[in-house]
Amino acid sequence: MKSAVQDYEAIKTAVESAANEHGEPHWFVERRLAAIDAMQDLALPEMQRYDFHRWPLMDDMELKFRRSDKHLADDLPQVDNQIRFVQVGQTTVAVNLPDELADQGVILTDIFSAFREHPRLTEKYFMDKVTKYNENKLTAYQQAFLNSGVFLYVPKGVEIKQPIEAYLIQDSTVKQAMVSHVLIIAEENSQFSFIQHLNTKGDETNAAHCMVEVLSRANSHVHFSSVDELGKNTYSVLHRRANLSRDARFDWAIGIVNDQNTLGDITSELIGEGAHSESKVIAITTGNQSNGINNRVVNRGKHTTANISQRGVLLEKSELIFNGIGDIIHGASGANAEQENRVLMMSDQAHGDANPILLIDEDDVIAGHAASVGQVDQNQLYYLMSRGIDKELAQRLVIRGFLGAVLEEIPLPEVRQEMIDVIERKLEDGQHFK
Amino acid sequence: MATLEIKDLHVTVKEDKGQTREILKGVNLTMNTGEIHAIMGPNGTGKSTLAQTIMGNSTYHVTQGDIILNGESILDMPVDERARKGLFLGMQYPAEIKGVTNAEFLRAAINARRPEDDKISVMAFLKELDKNLDLLDMSKEMTERYLNEDFSGGEKKRNEILQLLMIKPSFALLDEIDSGLDIDALQVVAKGVNSMRGDDFGSLIITHYQRLLNYIVPDVVHVMMDGRIVKSGDAELAKKLESEGYAGLRDELGLKVNLVDDNR
Repeated sequence: MKSAVQDYEAIKTAVESAANEHGEPHWFVERRLAAIDAMQDLALPEMQRYDFHRWPLMDDMELKFRRSDKHLADDLPQVDNQIRFVQVGQTTVAVNLPDELADQGVILTDIFSAFREHPRLTEKYFMDKVTKYNENKLTAYQQAFLNSGVFLYVPKGVEIKQPIEAYLIQDSTVKQAMVSHVLIIAEENSQFSFIQHLNTKGDETNAAHCMVEVLSRANSHVHFSSVDELGKNTYSVLHRRANLSRDARFDWAIGIVNDQNTLGDITSELIGEGAHSESKVIAITTGNQSNGINNRVVNRGKHTTANISQRGVLLEKSELIFNGIGDIIHGASGANAEQENRVLMMSDQAHGDANPILLIDEDDVIAGHAASVGQVDQNQLYYLMSRGIDKELAQRLVIRGFLGAVLEEIPLPEVRQEMIDVIERKLEDGQHFK
Repeated sequence: MATLEIKDLHVTVKEDKGQTREILKGVNLTMNTGEIHAIMGPNGTGKSTLAQTIMGNSTYHVTQGDIILNGESILDMPVDERARKGLFLGMQYPAEIKGVTNAEFLRAAINARRPEDDKISVMAFLKELDKNLDLLDMSKEMTERYLNEDFSGGEKKRNEILQLLMIKPSFALLDEIDSGLDIDALQVVAKGVNSMRGDDFGSLIITHYQRLLNYIVPDVVHVMMDGRIVKSGDAELAKKLESEGYAGLRDELGLKVNLVDDNR
């Protein structure tokens, strides 16, 4: 064990020097070091009915900053007047925020600039209010080895009509973990939607730790969608959490269509009275990949509403586990929590499960769940085929219908189409395998 | 000219308790493009079963006889292949599919009939679509909605006819296309079907009531009872049935058939 400790000391020294060279504020360097200390005693998070302990998630213990080729972002759609943030690896390629929003106090910048320029906001909220760095080994790793990310701040009362889009592109032309963070603060009465795109360029085997923290202040209204399209050699941890204050509304609409193993952990903490969250997730697995997804809602405040809807499709020899966790804390009277977890098996060699887990410590609540593991709807398939559409395409369309509840949640038609295209590609790959 | 022949067709279904029940008991019917045939009959006599079996619905099992399209048996063909060979079934209960727009679905159906390197162009598709929407008094907005999702009963029926007009099959089997339609909607649906009439199109119209046949005048009317066609005639036969009822015909033919709607 002595050598492990020595290793950690060596890692700390290296991280400290890399962080200082990177020009990071003192408080953040300290946090990195504290996180490395914490890692030594922390365990990996437990996930019900799912084992990911052997994935290569924390092989990279080196903090290293390097420039990525910005041309790796050349194939992004070019849209005029888009509110957009683009990062390739650790290199921020574009930040496009209209002047009138900047004038109203909206901040959209890379996470390290935010640490330097907005310490008042970031020191208080980064991995402290929503997610604690010492929850488990992965959260500690996140804080210790953070190397990219974006910060969004929307002040009180500001309403942004157009969605804010962030393209976070993993640079796997080199061997290095992506440890990325999206920190969003929605002040009281603010209103906006945020769309995240995760992609991979290059074929190196790497881990991707993509964390999202959202602080939804009283009466704010935030919609978060994500198209997760990480590459076939990327093992990913997607930890996403939102804290909701009084009467806040926060929704997730997430499409997990990565090509390699993924651990998804999505949480809405409804702290303030009257908060409301809809948590919608779809996932498609192919090949030998395995996805384990926890979707958790925690009703803490009175009269809070938290619904979960998850839909998954399994092809080939893949595995997909959906845990829907509804946690109603004592005192959350009048809480409402419904969940629906459904998976569709397209192959008898796949392994899928949909587990509703209700933890209720309060009497005056309404809670319910539905779960199913099933096959393609034969009526729908027949209808499409009766129009001459071949079986494979008909199946893909039926599957899209099955996923439609989440698809229609995505606010921009272009992004919805993007998601549909990814789904089609993945389903086609899976179908041609057999 | 295309020809559809039904020869001595016997069809069974599996019931809940695992027993099989014979629904069609030897149906014979031949129709050519250029002709409109109507099949009438009381509930539960196998009219819908006939249409579903021709289309290839796997719920129905052919135990005897054959279905021949242009000289070729289609019994072993999957549903999609039968459709591409020229059959179309306008359904009583069209499926709803979220996430797939009506327009996308229509294009996929048209392209399914065309070679990989000759897909319909967007312009040609939209032109054809506009023309048919106009004819059916449908708004463009209907095509951007998800397939049949939250459509009213009447909208679904119109949408079936829109598909018919876009796909242009040789034979359209229309299963109770008039049910649940008010008189205006009925006229629109009839207008759509009538616009297809010509040497290259035939239709088998299944209906419970004669009303629809005032608007789509058939060349041949068949009456089905207890899994068989018991009488065929011209459009006058439908009118006679309307005034005398199925019981009158049954007694005239001396059939021992129970007509109460209790066996579906």
